[in-house]
Amino acid sequence: MLKDKFYRDIPNVHHPKEKLVATHCSYCGMQCGMNLRVDTDKNTIIGVEPRYDWPVTLGKMCPKGVTAYQQTNHADRLLRPLIRDDASKKGTKEGFREASWEEAYDLIVRKFKALQTQYGKDSLSVYSGVSMTNEKCYLTGKFARVALQTRYIDYNGRFCMSSAAAGFLRSFGVDRGSTLPWTDIHETDCLFIAGSNTAECHPTSMFRVWEVQNRGGYLIVADPRETPLARRADIHLDLKPGTDLALANCMVNLLIQNGYADESFVQAHTNGYEETKELVSIFTAEYTSEITGVAPDKLIRAAEIYGKAPNAIVMFARGIEQQTRGSDNVSAYTNMCLITGKIGRPKSGVATLTGQGNGQGGREHGQKADALPGYRKITNPKHVGEVCKVWGIEPEEMPQPGVSAYEMFDLMQNKTIRALYLLCSNPAVSAPNLNYVKAALKNLDFMVCADIYLSESAEFADVVLPSVTWSEDEGTVTNLEGRIIKINKAQEPIGESKPDWLIEVELAERMGRGKYFSHLTTAAKVAEEFRLASKGGYADYYGATWDKIEKQNGVFWPCKDNDDPGTPYMFLDQQYYHSDGKAKICALPYRPPAEEPCEQFPLRLTTGRVVYHYLSGNQTRRIQFLHDMCPEPYVEVHPETAGQYGIEHDEIVRLFTRRGEAHFKVKIIEAIRKDTVFVPYHFGHEQSINLLTNPALDPMSRMPEFKVCAAQIEKKAVSGEAVR
Amino acid sequence: MKKLLYIEMDNCIGCRSCLAACTQCGGHDQRNRNYVYDVNPFVNRQTIPLMCLHCVNPACARSCPAQAIQITPEGAVLSAMVEKCIGCQNCTIACPYGIPKFDEEQNLMYKCDLCYDRTKEGIPPMCASVCPTNTLQWITEDELAEKQEQYRLGKWISSHQPFDPLEGETNVKISLPGILQGKQKLF
Repeated sequence: MLKDKFYRDIPNVHHPKEKLVATHCSYCGMQCGMNLRVDTDKNTIIGVEPRYDWPVTLGKMCPKGVTAYQQTNHADRLLRPLIRDDASKKGTKEGFREASWEEAYDLIVRKFKALQTQYGKDSLSVYSGVSMTNEKCYLTGKFARVALQTRYIDYNGRFCMSSAAAGFLRSFGVDRGSTLPWTDIHETDCLFIAGSNTAECHPTSMFRVWEVQNRGGYLIVADPRETPLARRADIHLDLKPGTDLALANCMVNLLIQNGYADESFVQAHTNGYEETKELVSIFTAEYTSEITGVAPDKLIRAAEIYGKAPNAIVMFARGIEQQTRGSDNVSAYTNMCLITGKIGRPKSGVATLTGQGNGQGGREHGQKADALPGYRKITNPKHVGEVCKVWGIEPEEMPQPGVSAYEMFDLMQNKTIRALYLLCSNPAVSAPNLNYVKAALKNLDFMVCADIYLSESAEFADVVLPSVTWSEDEGTVTNLEGRIIKINKAQEPIGESKPDWLIEVELAERMGRGKYFSHLTTAAKVAEEFRLASKGGYADYYGATWDKIEKQNGVFWPCKDNDDPGTPYMFLDQQYYHSDGKAKICALPYRPPAEEPCEQFPLRLTTGRVVYHYLSGNQTRRIQFLHDMCPEPYVEVHPETAGQYGIEHDEIVRLFTRRGEAHFKVKIIEAIRKDTVFVPYHFGHEQSINLLTNPALDPMSRMPEFKVCAAQIEKKAVSGEAVR
Repeated sequence: MKKLLYIEMDNCIGCRSCLAACTQCGGHDQRNRNYVYDVNPFVNRQTIPLMCLHCVNPACARSCPAQAIQITPEGAVLSAMVEKCIGCQNCTIACPYGIPKFDEEQNLMYKCDLCYDRTKEGIPPMCASVCPTNTLQWITEDELAEKQEQYRLGKWISSHQPFDPLEGETNVKISLPGILQGKQKLF
């Protein structure tokens, strides 16, 4: 990769008796480069040193990245397997005893086999995550289908990237999160960012974002809150949560009406223009303003800027995706690029800001209910045949598609699913409608949880297996650009903890399926099989060897063979992945969110992240610095709204929806809509906002509607005083 | 070429990565020595960092009766020397920016030393190394001159300019919020 204007040749500080291990952060899709400082006497990670020569982030790190190394040797690490004999203690931290790996494995295998004998193969399930390497994600899909022989596998990316995936697949026929490298961002002329609190969720993008404005370019932000990103925007489209589809349709309509559509591009490279033009024509600035609450002149100006910009990038994140119309929102915002032809070239395109570290790679290689490695489909016989060849099974042995993550809880409730193998995820915090989800977990006959700490979800397990942190294993992840990068091992696993791939191999052997797994004795050997399994799929990693990744500072997929350097820019040849080579401009009628405010629940509740925490907080809440900066959740309220409820800053109120309630401290700030309240979602137990959120699913992506539901605030009675 | 710390406050997103990074510098004993303030927390999310500005004639050192605060040839104003500091806390009162912190247990002042073990080798301090927004930058004097030219906008200027926003001359340079005012747009 070329060195961009921010690159500086800076040496690292080397302390005596220390070595630096170049790797990446454990957290979000930015995958910031970092060097872990390792004490060579003790073989122990002791700190972090910037990785100035990593081309994407140049040594920059957010506070989570700076302190990420503190996870590895943290006092809360699980060092040995835990078994709980008394099932009545499920849902608590109580009743666990330490056990040997053999005892834990024996119990798991005995229970799994007994349940499968009595209730069939599909009584088992696997629920995984994408904060782990491609090798682990790949093997987890194989583990479910080949070792456990169950159809039921899905993963936490369902709550993260599924709408982006479904939307991009519809628009382009391919789902690579960004059509261009991140090093292009600062060189574009207009950034249109919708539903992304980039400053808090992907902070190391920010020096490139600000540079667009420093160069005289424009920043347009669509968000119900004036986030630290929106604070400096040229135009802040402060829409009501859940109304993105109207806003996106309005942008497309205004672009067409004002002559910014590139008719020859549309003609040559797209389908669906005429019907979309017809459908969006009702979305005038005035009509859209009524739906979204955004002033008409701001809508007009935003479309004008995007239309005029020689180059522009449309970006979005969970704000638009975690809705029942999430995949429609993705395609609708992507329409802006397609009707103006601002795609398939440097400095112009579309990108989603991937939430989890391997949110991109982890969704491509077979952890999804209906997916197989290389982004293949389990419903496509040709795809099944290709993967069966690598796995050494017969096509008839391949299980049917399963169900999405949230729907798995339905099947636990009705006892279709009897046992769960959970890894790399914490749904007891991260899933919506938690009262229901926790009851489902309790309803299981048997549950295994592999994690680095005793998470809120581990509290529901019968057996807890100690897995390793990212720094104690090696492999690849695919960052938010679609760049495959290398995670390097910096120290040996602590205690008796083991990497997830090894646990899966050892369990497979004990399930009598060793012949499909026993050859996988190192992460590198898993990588070899994984690359082969992806070969020929459209997420083709076959040419992305670890060696090439190190030499090239990452490899963008698709990368088909040894001579292929990879594909930093998608669609440079204006060939899209639909069978006719064209992209699809999608006509998408607006529908409101599943739950609209009413008399009983007059507020719109939206949720999101803070910069100090990651996902369910299982990792970051344990880091002292991050805990000190944000120890608890809060509900953000506009001062005028607070006035109507008679509530004050720092006062604890009851926030409730049709599904649940929780108590939060009030944080008063004008930088939020008056009709909207916001709560960060990183907290467990009674502090979880997901006790309240709506599990209504996007029909295409099966993404729950985390980002909007109807809520009400109640002032708590002060002792001796009646409630207002 | 000599490099210096430059703060472009408008870029700050309040992530406090600089605070976390400060704990990671070799001699910092896991304690941070810098600050990030919410400017108007009930209204918006504007934040600004405040690091030691390494004054050319530092009030902390001037006020120290024990001469415990050393100034390096590069102009870095160091933490109090353990063997000299008498714990009087004059420095914490004298500093116009409230930078020096005081360790009650050790009866010792500690403050930003501009990551002297890094910067003396030309390596940027930890705060500027990690800052995700380029609020904190480690730049050459030429680059600073360019910035000052670019942001010569009435009162929104770097330090040591006609309408000097700071108390005195500092080795660390700043631009107050507002750098985009009057920006010539591309189109």
